[in-house]
Amino acid sequence: MKKLVYSCPFVPAEWIAAHGLSPSRILPGPADVSAFAGASAGVCPYAAAFLHALSRDDEAEAAVLTTVCDQMRRGFEQAQRTDRRPVFLLNVPSTWQTVTAQKIYMSEVERLGRFLIRLGGKKPSADELASVMREYDARRSGLREARGCVAPRRFSEAIAQFHREGMVDPGLREDAYTPHGIPVALIGSPLMSHHFPIFDLIESGGGAVVLDATESGERTMPPPFDRRSLAADPFMTLVDAYFGQIPDAFRRPNNQLYQWLKRESAERGARGVILRYYTWCDKWHAELQRMKEWSEAPVLGISTGADKALDGHAISRIESFLEMLK
Amino acid sequence: MRDAPRQITLEEWDARYAELSAAGMQEPTYGGPLRRHVGEGDLRLQNLRYDNSAASLRLWNFLLTEEDRLHQARAEGRKIVGAMKDLGTVPVMAYSLPGVAAFYPDGAWWLPCIMEDSTGMLPIADSLGIDESFCPVRAMLGAFVTGGHFPIPDLLTCSVGATCDDFSAIAQRLNSLGYPILWWEIPSRRHPEPDEMEIRLPGGFSAPETQVAFVRAELERIRRALEDLVGRRLTEDALSAGIRAANRVRRLLSQLRRLTYTAKICPLPALEMLVAEMLAIHFCSDRAEARVVLEQLLREVRERVQAQQGVLSKASARVFWVNPVADLRVMNLLEECGGRICGTDYLFCHVLDKIPENLSPMEALARIALADPMVGTAADRAERICRDILAFHAEALVISRIPGASHCATEGEVIRDFVHSRVGIPVIEIEVPPVSDSYRSTLRTRLEALVEAAKERRRT
Repeated sequence: MKKLVYSCPFVPAEWIAAHGLSPSRILPGPADVSAFAGASAGVCPYAAAFLHALSRDDEAEAAVLTTVCDQMRRGFEQAQRTDRRPVFLLNVPSTWQTVTAQKIYMSEVERLGRFLIRLGGKKPSADELASVMREYDARRSGLREARGCVAPRRFSEAIAQFHREGMVDPGLREDAYTPHGIPVALIGSPLMSHHFPIFDLIESGGGAVVLDATESGERTMPPPFDRRSLAADPFMTLVDAYFGQIPDAFRRPNNQLYQWLKRESAERGARGVILRYYTWCDKWHAELQRMKEWSEAPVLGISTGADKALDGHAISRIESFLEMLK
Repeated sequence: MRDAPRQITLEEWDARYAELSAAGMQEPTYGGPLRRHVGEGDLRLQNLRYDNSAASLRLWNFLLTEEDRLHQARAEGRKIVGAMKDLGTVPVMAYSLPGVAAFYPDGAWWLPCIMEDSTGMLPIADSLGIDESFCPVRAMLGAFVTGGHFPIPDLLTCSVGATCDDFSAIAQRLNSLGYPILWWEIPSRRHPEPDEMEIRLPGGFSAPETQVAFVRAELERIRRALEDLVGRRLTEDALSAGIRAANRVRRLLSQLRRLTYTAKICPLPALEMLVAEMLAIHFCSDRAEARVVLEQLLREVRERVQAQQGVLSKASARVFWVNPVADLRVMNLLEECGGRICGTDYLFCHVLDKIPENLSPMEALARIALADPMVGTAADRAERICRDILAFHAEALVISRIPGASHCATEGEVIRDFVHSRVGIPVIEIEVPPVSDSYRSTLRTRLEALVEAAKERRRT
């Protein structure tokens, strides 16, 4: 099956799979931002790393970028200039509470479908789409059930693996794990593939990530599909689950993110929040102070680059933060 | 009274003002000597060089009294609309209704420059978590919080979607502070696919019909909000009249640009042209007066061109400028380095285009909104820049980065490559902070080198 890579949670994997292609939502690895064509001061390390990863991925037949942030939107143009493979820009509206915004997203997913057909895919029937959606839904349910039963790092890596490969490790729940440590929520930008040691660091400092609300974590998994509406209109159900239900900082207004965070943090008993964002990520950076004012639990902001999970300064800050929570 | 055109300092303007007054210069109510604005905190004026005409004096006074006009509008019971980010569409709608004044809160980005960081607005933005890694438009937050500049609008709109992340994030922060915002979506403009109906937009870009329809629907929401605000319908006739009035301003500006940027001797300095171009965005809160100001400026330029007079040497290098500068003084610096402005893309060149008058008004406005160079690709923008470079015979290009702005991280390279391959003129990319004095020698060196390279090419 032809592989199509992307990194944005608003690209519905089921839609790609139902067209007969293999969706792969990747987390890029380390990249030297300055080596990226056209890069200058102000380039988002994640956007640059994604484009770097795409350029190195010989198996990818095509890529999808989205408009959830300006740098990725402009990254599409960079990819067009530097990569010979087909690249698609999915227009994900920032507004989300209006009929027009929903229509834009819907028409964009349909346009993505036409792109997939041009790549060799086949337009799925409603039944075929529903069937793929049920499979994905079941796998996501399996993942959710593993939460709290496996170590936080293992859980987040399993989510990343599911996004990348569409599969859940069957041995996932065989791990023996007893929750321990000060419960904290980790929120913000997506992790890169080499950033998972942050979970170990938090654990060694006496904490435990009980809520992975990063873009690569559970926050961006669409909620379970409504069975009845899935049977009646799978396409609309898919659109609603992805466009209507995933909370994110980029949305305008983004109060949905705060409602979600409040509910989930309370449910998990998070006693602190670590907001992690990439240098030059305006969308998350701008939320930091607001979150500090809003949150009842203490909030720590960590800015990071693309090279390693955390620098010495950030490590010290996390350690101090956890010490304070003890 | 006609004197030879030249650039003068603020001190020289004191004497010049006295001369013009003695000669019977007629001034509008907002007129007066430029120096008085320094007393109101506009400290940067002391470091700028100005055109010495009465028309330019009127232009500066018009610009620097905008806050007074807005406060007066509030006092008179008019409704105030703060139109954020779209640069040129919502104000056309707002001014189609009687009793409404619209302005750009984003314009506060120049306050740290004009007031030489004395406003305290940037520290306020810092305290709200919006630090110097964001674009200087963050000053807008301080302006809202202090309420010390413009009145808080009765209706605040903001276009989002294909906009820079800085502004979207800052506007969201503003919203979180309790300022309600009517968000409207401007999608990322794309080229139509083979099976889609193509719509040609003003300015030469194109978009699929579906995108135009989406924007039209979004603008209908704005229309309803404006109607709710004033309690009356915004009819098609009123909108058409508003578009015609906006086009009169755009036409004047278009003539002014063509005349100034193609003249053998530069008839009007870069700084005054920058201010003039800005008038088209929201008419500086008075549409009728904006027209008068531009008419007077155009008259002045016509006379100078006819008399073959100008403010700079005939040998000045013809420079095209991309992005507005956060520090106005840099426009003077270019001229001191031997350059002159011949063509610009200050992020809002779509407001220089005529809004179609042969379409339904909402369709026309949707098309002009989508013609914004910033909602498409940098390559699209570069294509328009190349067309204008050729039209104005520009010999060099300056891409002026806005500190922290998300679009500046990568667009410069795209534009540079495009211009190199299509036009082959020298290009430099510089970054200009709100007060650039400490970078002045570096900027000077780079601009001088560019001018030298442009002049060198004349000999080959």
